[in-house]
Amino acid sequence: MIDPATLLTIVLMAGVTYLTRIGGYVVLRNRVLGARATAVMEAAPGCVLISVIAPAFVSRHPADLLALAITFAAATRLSMLPTVLLGVASAGLLRHFIG
Amino acid sequence: MSISQAVETTGDGSGSEFRRGVASCAPVLFGTIPYALVLGAQATQKGLSVVELPVMTGLNFAGGSEFAAIQLWTSPPHIVLIVAITFLVNSRHLLMGAALAPFLRHLPRRKMFPALFFLCDESWALGLADARQRAAAGIIPAFSPRYYMGAALAMYLTWLTFTTTGALLGPMLGDVETYGFDMAFPAVFLVLMRGMWKGMAAARPWLVSLVVAALAYLFIPGAWYVAAGAVSGLVSAWLMAGDA
Repeated sequence: MIDPATLLTIVLMAGVTYLTRIGGYVVLRNRVLGARATAVMEAAPGCVLISVIAPAFVSRHPADLLALAITFAAATRLSMLPTVLLGVASAGLLRHFIG
Repeated sequence: MSISQAVETTGDGSGSEFRRGVASCAPVLFGTIPYALVLGAQATQKGLSVVELPVMTGLNFAGGSEFAAIQLWTSPPHIVLIVAITFLVNSRHLLMGAALAPFLRHLPRRKMFPALFFLCDESWALGLADARQRAAAGIIPAFSPRYYMGAALAMYLTWLTFTTTGALLGPMLGDVETYGFDMAFPAVFLVLMRGMWKGMAAARPWLVSLVVAALAYLFIPGAWYVAAGAVSGLVSAWLMAGDA
């Protein structure tokens, strides 16, 4: 039920994640970060998230691009749940009707 | 009920502090459920078992990085890539912990090390907002560990329960792409990014990441587009920050 490579990956993921959780408390609490380091730290999560979903922005399927545009518009004004529902519904329906 | 009202209407009983934390987290929990179900269902389609997935969501407990890992998951997994991406997605915890640290000075480290395992966007935001409210109201100490743990454990149990439920239901649903469930990933990520939005200038590195990642995806085989996009965005953030 548990593949060794999968377990190793998960344990290492959990390890680095825990280090990020205690790292700020242990290392940064008595220091002030420089402007550049702060800018990089603040940009980092967004840079990663947008990179992960970048393939959706260059999809060859018109239905997927249209659904992404609707999802994007929803994400700028709605909260998590309605955005997810609207994104999933528009992708499902547009794929069904446009292909 | 707003956090300030909650502060005024509850005493200092430890049980009520814990319940106050759970209650203030409740609206967020409902928003988390569909997101957890989709992660679980998608994970089983990528080959993770119903045992492996809760091990991941229970030990790692950081949704954004788990979505990224599942998106990049292959069999066998590309360990270095996935661990590096996990670190990058979760690097925001470093800043979050640093922001919380001034409120934690009265607490011993042996208590904070286990408590920080449960640090997530929601428990951090609630815990910090509550500490600021209490500080403004003159309550000492401002940070309420039991309030924080109430919010954090509610979040943890919801995440673990519903990602596992998603993994159990996943095989029954078949290919989730047919129903458009894969659009939940861009939806969740875009909403998370809106929450991090600090104006157009601060978002320029994100645009660099998007363009570089998209080009790498089109022209370079494998999942390196994530690393290429992330690194180019970080380098541009460094360069755009100017002389400091």
